[in-house]
This record gives sequence, C-alpha cells and structure tokens, in this order.
Amino acid sequence: MNDLFNWWAVPAIVIPAAVAAPAQAVQYFTLEQARRALFPDAAAFVSRPVELNQARRDLIEDYSGVRLRAEHQPVWRAETDGRLLGWFVLDEVYGKHEFITYAVALDPAGAVRGIEILDYRETHGGEVRDKRWQAQFLGKHYGDSLKLGASVQNISGATLSCKHITEGVRRVLALYEAALKGEADR
Amino acid sequence: MSAAMQGERGASTVRRARPLLGTLVEIEVDRGAQSEAAIGRAFDVIAQVQDLMSFHDPASELSRLNREALNVPVAVSEPTWQVLQAARRLSIASDGLFDITTASALVDRGFLPTTARYIRPSAAVGDWRHLELLPGRRVWFARPLCIDLGGIAKGFAVDRATEVLRAAGVRRGRVNAGGDLRVFGAGPEALHVRHPLQPGVLVPMPPLEAAVATSAGYYQPRGHLGPAPVPIVHPETGELARGQRSVTVYAPECMSADALTKVVYLDPARATPLLAAYGARAIVLEPEPDGGCRLYHSVPGPAATA
Repeated sequence: MNDLFNWWAVPAIVIPAAVAAPAQAVQYFTLEQARRALFPDAAAFVSRPVELNQARRDLIEDYSGVRLRAEHQPVWRAETDGRLLGWFVLDEVYGKHEFITYAVALDPAGAVRGIEILDYRETHGGEVRDKRWQAQFLGKHYGDSLKLGASVQNISGATLSCKHITEGVRRVLALYEAALKGEADR
Repeated sequence: MSAAMQGERGASTVRRARPLLGTLVEIEVDRGAQSEAAIGRAFDVIAQVQDLMSFHDPASELSRLNREALNVPVAVSEPTWQVLQAARRLSIASDGLFDITTASALVDRGFLPTTARYIRPSAAVGDWRHLELLPGRRVWFARPLCIDLGGIAKGFAVDRATEVLRAAGVRRGRVNAGGDLRVFGAGPEALHVRHPLQPGVLVPMPPLEAAVATSAGYYQPRGHLGPAPVPIVHPETGELARGQRSVTVYAPECMSADALTKVVYLDPARATPLLAAYGARAIVLEPEPDGGCRLYHSVPGPAATA
C-alpha cells in the first residue's frame, strides 16, 4: 500500500506462510476444578442432566431465541448436607473459528453466580489440512521456536467475539426456567 | 471434555479466561498460594471497567454521558475520568486523528447498537474539542456528541488488571484481552499476531517486553468491491477505514498501545511522531497473495524491542 511504501523508513520484511503457527487449544479448567472454583463451599455435586424433550426445547428456544443442538444438557446440583447451593451447567458454543466449553453457575433462584471457561479450541482453517501448506512449517523467524502443536503464550489480534457465549448464557437461563426452577426445596 | 494441550509453563502457572469486554480475557500468573485470589481481583477490576465504559450497556457511566452530558455537566468515576483525560491527550497529540466522539459513524454502519445512541444522525455534532473536562471530574458536551471508548478502554482495563496483579504480589504474569496484551516480570517474551485474513494462523513478531495491541478487521465480511470496512472512523472525513492489514503497536502501557493502533491504521505518516512521543513503535502486516505477509516497521531493526 502506498502510504506505507512512501513513509515507512524500513524496507518491508516478508514473512512467508511458512512460519505461521497452527491454531490454539487451551484447557483452563478440568470439569472438577471448574465445579470447585464456582462452588467452593459445596460438599457434593449431584449429576442431574436435563433431558431436552420437545416441550423444553420449544420453551428454551422461545425464551432465548437460540437454537438447541444437544438432547441432554449436563447439569449438576451443588449441595451441602442436601441443601441446594446452586446449579452447575456445562455448555459448549461454536464460533466461526473456535469452539469453547464453559460453565455457568446459577444460584438456587436462577441468577448467574459465575462463568468460567474450561476449554478454548481454535478450529483449523482449510489451508492447514493442505499437505503442501503443512510442509511449509519449516519456519525460521524471530526465534523460530514454533512446532506444530506447541502452545503459543502471547497472541495479539482479536480472538472471538463473546457473542456466542452471551447467547449461550441466555440459553442456560432459559434452561433454568424450563427445567430447574422450583427444585430448590427437594 | 477433551484434554487440551498444556502450556509451556504448565503446572507452574495458573491460566484463566472469562468473557469480558466483548472478548475472551485471559490471565496467566505464576502459581502461588494467592494466585487464584489475585486473578479473581484482576477480573473484577476488568468487569468494573466494562460496567463503567460499555457503549452497549444503557446503565454504564458512558451511556449516561451520551444521554445527559449535553444538557448538564455529569460527574464521573475516577477510572472513567482517567480514560477521558488520556483520550484528550491523544487527541491533542494526534491533532484530532484520535477522537472518541466518532461513535455515530459506527452506529450508522452497524458496528454499534442504535439503541445506545441518543442524538439524531442529522444533529450538528462536534468533535473531541467539544468534550469538556471540568473541575470536580465533571464532563460536559458543548455540542451534541456520541462517544465510544472502544478504542482505548480495553487497553486501560488490561493496565488496571496488571496493577492489581502486581499489588497482590504476583511476580510474573500476562493479561490478554482479545489481543490487547500486557506481560510483566519475565523479560522479553515471544509474541505472535493473527494473520489479518486467517485469524487461526499466527505470525511471529519481535519480542514483547511490556504492552502490545493489534487492530484489524478480522471478522468483518469481505466486500465485493474491495476490502471491507474496519470499525475505525477517520474523524476528518467521517469515513470508515478500509483494508486487510493489521496494525500492531508496542508501547510501555496497553492503553496507549490500544489507542495508537487506530491512529496508525488511519494514517501511518501522521502517526510516526506520535508513536515516538509515547515511546511506542508499530508494525503493519499486509497480507500477501501466497498466504504470507509483509511487515512494515515504524522504526528500524526488526528484532528491536519496544
């Protein structure tokens, strides 16, 4: 571009596709750690998956405006001495470039008490599957520490927008309305 | 749950992420007895910045300014005041190229919600010079204005979170708010930037010592008539920037890095002295047809650090 050729004193450096690193995958929490982080006082987590039957699906899609894919939603009751502390709902969202597993903690009244990301995985673009493109990974630039599969710590440039997580939380709140509400005293 | 790859620092660090500021904010610190608590407090301070300065949230202080500051001076909190002062300094130093009062153009183009705009598009709007900062942390609009802190508040939040971590005794850490990134305590670290056209592909960059930010139109649809618009408004024309490049700025603090990416995006030539004044440097990535890219540096020395 002209504005750069004219004004930037340093000759351009060409980075071949060669040295690009692959997509990222990070695990922030295991399931167990996330439950503990969101409900540190709970003595037990009782599995209570919610079956998403047609009536519930309709309700949830109606409340949240978000389509449902799964047939079951993994949910745990956080308890101490049988007393309900809240709900731990595990969920997943897909973006254009990423796949995120996260958990929402709800208090017994259905209010969000916390959200934690468990897994963040970036999906590979089509070019990564291309053999010739992969063969270029014999990179060397700026320290060339990259290997396929190596984790890269510092990445600048926008990742996902949070839109999908926001929609997901809305869906979880609707799930509470449709299936969990009123269970506090059981 | 599939087991994901462990980071190089692995078990010696704690790495957490939360959805904040419209992106995924990640914090990683050395593992210690207080590290979880310190990360929690750092996320809290980021959430506070979001609550105060979100354009999307009608209850934010920023929305209150957009609603009321034309009629009456509005007192704001210390964090908002700090950001407004920093924005003003940048506007002066860039001769108006950095301007937080261009939000109407972003609303018109669908980058910001119309529900949060309180002036009519036809109103005779002013610019940054009409945003008056009065004694007692009060803000007054001398003309109809619509302000958005999207180009600076994220960097500010990262700086605040870094301060909180350090105050909690964390010796080494990283805060990354969707590419507004700050590291401390570890000396120069390897840095990668997303390829402007393929966000899943990472381009190696010179090492990072403090803060960095990147602006690009990563997720904008590509237009049929050339590069898609990027949500950065040129204050002198009211037009959106266009391009497929990304701009990365290294600076001592994340707030200035964040803001300066916008200035470089709009006009690299005018940005050059401004970068120097802020102790910053920039690298522009232009995509190449073969999938690689071309790097342009604002100062000589590809391996030099900020």
